Amino acid sequence: MVGNPNCGKTTLFNALTGLRQKVGNYPGVTVEKKIGECYSQHGRPMKIIDLPGAYSLAARSPDEAVLRDVLFGRREDTPQPDRVICVLDATNLERNLYLVHQILDLGRPVILVLNMMDLAVKAGLRIDTHQLAAALGVVVIACAAVKGEGLVELKLAMSRSDLPLARHRWDVPAPIAPAVAELQASLSDADAQSPLIARAEALLLLTDFESVRIAGSKPLSARTAAVLAAWQQRCAREESNWSGTLIRSRYDAINTLCREVLRRPRPPELSGSDRLDAVLVHSIWGWLFFGFVMAALFFSIFSLAEYPMNWIDAHIAALSRGVKNILPPGDLRDLLTDGVIGGVGGIVVFLPQILILFFFVGLLESTGYMARAAFLMDRPMSKVGLHGKSFIPLLGSYACAIPGIMATRTIENAKDRLVTILIAPLMSCSARLPVYLLMIATLLPAAALPATWKAGLMLLMYLLGTLGAFGFAWLFKRTLFKSARPLMIMELPAYQPPRLKEILRQMVERSWLFLKNAGTIILGISIVLWFLTTYPKHPDPKASAEAQIAVSFAGQAGHLLEPVIKPLGFDWRIGIGLVTSFAAREVFVSSMSVIFGVQDNGEDTLPVRDALRAARWPNGASLFTPLVCITLMVYYVFAMQCMSTIAVVKRETNSWRWPLFQIAYMTGTAWLVCFAIYQIGRALDY
Amino acid sequence: MINGDDGFAQRLREMGFGEAALVTKISGRTTSLCQVNGTRIALNHNAAMAILVEALPAGVR
Ligand SMILES: Nc1nc2c(ncn2[C@@H]2O[C@H](COP(=O)(O)OP(=O)(O)O)[C@@H](O)[C@H]2O)c(=O)[nH]1
Repeated sequence: MVGNPNCGKTTLFNALTGLRQKVGNYPGVTVEKKIGECYSQHGRPMKIIDLPGAYSLAARSPDEAVLRDVLFGRREDTPQPDRVICVLDATNLERNLYLVHQILDLGRPVILVLNMMDLAVKAGLRIDTHQLAAALGVVVIACAAVKGEGLVELKLAMSRSDLPLARHRWDVPAPIAPAVAELQASLSDADAQSPLIARAEALLLLTDFESVRIAGSKPLSARTAAVLAAWQQRCAREESNWSGTLIRSRYDAINTLCREVLRRPRPPELSGSDRLDAVLVHSIWGWLFFGFVMAALFFSIFSLAEYPMNWIDAHIAALSRGVKNILPPGDLRDLLTDGVIGGVGGIVVFLPQILILFFFVGLLESTGYMARAAFLMDRPMSKVGLHGKSFIPLLGSYACAIPGIMATRTIENAKDRLVTILIAPLMSCSARLPVYLLMIATLLPAAALPATWKAGLMLLMYLLGTLGAFGFAWLFKRTLFKSARPLMIMELPAYQPPRLKEILRQMVERSWLFLKNAGTIILGISIVLWFLTTYPKHPDPKASAEAQIAVSFAGQAGHLLEPVIKPLGFDWRIGIGLVTSFAAREVFVSSMSVIFGVQDNGEDTLPVRDALRAARWPNGASLFTPLVCITLMVYYVFAMQCMSTIAVVKRETNSWRWPLFQIAYMTGTAWLVCFAIYQIGRALDY
Repeated sequence: MINGDDGFAQRLREMGFGEAALVTKISGRTTSLCQVNGTRIALNHNAAMAILVEALPAGVR
């Protein structure tokens, strides 16, 4: 199944296959491989591969390269497709037919699906599907995937064993023909491609610029590569524009076809989306609306989420108490309550915030506003050398850097994508929240100060992270990843009413992923941490919790670390927190409560706060002075403290080099900034 | 007319933003939003600078 981005391919794929889907990766590249199953009219199972959306087979991103290589039969991990379902957005037939035109060249059986027919009808477009089918010699099906219209006809067509082969009345433009003929011959002989596919591939190779090559695809044979290079040189020498000629020739054919099959109301007018855009991307009104959306987003994350979070917190505490009542005191009980329930529970509390963020992101995406936000942000982003498309991953990173980093896949330029990945974890994610909250609570005595102070301090941390991200983007684009100013072309999809079902489906999917993480990685770390703070045992079994930790493995490690972090005002106990929270930032809070021997009564963070305030250096000086609290917050703004992010960066960049670089530059910056803050603060007598 | 980076020019043309295309500018100063063939395409400043458009004579639409 292939089609342009936003043609409704995913919707159609979901409608056809329901839950019988498998999502994986194409080996060697970070492109999602979606395979679904449905049944033919005769009950035979059929496998559908949902290929990445693309405008053309001339690939400009790994996604498009996968599409090209699967269709050319160049991927060993994917069988040759025996039929191609081309999904088209019927409201924009010309542009969508371009990819179809390339695919018809392949000579594989094709089914054309004219999706979004409901919108086309509303816009007054009349498409003669019979004539289109007759002209191209393929099966054409009108469909509205969201309403389930046309699905039965599509399944019927898919079940046919006698799908006609396309009659493709189109001649290779004369200037390219000799080159195509020679390259086609070489591709048939040396690369064992069938004649039609060889011709299609020859056309593509001859008119390609710097097309993307990906791992896992069969490369060209040496002979073909030599033929290709010779013709390319000749083309360059004669300064011919084969690509332009070919594209024009295809569009000429498409326009002729459209004149036959498409009737549009005269005169073409600006659509509703265009009129909405005149306001929503306006240089004043657009920004106002954008500001309003962002304010609503942050308000919901920070204030609305509090209610479900308190509820979850209370239930986790109740569970922990329940276990304490049932089991006799001992290591097993402590492991379960302090290690497992405390550790995993500490993460699950963030679920509401993450759900709210995903809900907003889903809402913005499904209405089509996200692309507008990227459009507006293009100008500020260009100041640091990135373009608007980098905004979407960065916004997502406020919830969690992991979906954010995965969203960078839409950025075609490899350098821009890498810079976006490198800076994404600087956006304050929701895992930093508990650290900020604890430090603010320790810093500012309860009710004495108005809530705005706390909110202000919190906002300051978010701002600091965001500024840091932009600053580093600027720096990287000037040093490591120098490249020409990025060129951005982005299609803005038509506005749509939000589709709540689809959004909910995504929220469930993503939060399940999050919970799975909590259930595996975080669970493991919590158990390990509990072990490291419990063993070896203090010789005196009645020793205080604090004394026990001092002799434990974790305590020993903290002592080792102390000389490095003392200049930042941190002692060995904070050091343990820094080390354990390398797994995930929020672990810092649970570590503090374990280390400072807090009796968690499960109500709120009050007791931890009091314990921290009472903590002293050996010489009796207070440990958590306001200056140290602020320094610690700033440390978490910058430091790379998240194993899952490191794993994802490794996967997305296919090397250890970038995650290691990320740890070094982020944690290095954290140390330097904290050193400056603490030392200057001390000098000023804070 | 389209100038500059070959791969970029190819993609623009493939998206229907070719030499024969009728372009309507909807919004934007540095980053612009254009309507081509019924789709909205956003171009950043650098991309827009690579494209030369001709104004249609008044009255023709
Ligand atoms: N009105 C209408 N909207 C549709 C139809 N098919 C898909 N959509 C919407 O178009 C948008 C893009 O669809 P999606 O499946 O994500 O497109 P993809 O990028 O091709 O996978 C979504 O908001 C869909 O709800 C349709 O037949 N009619």
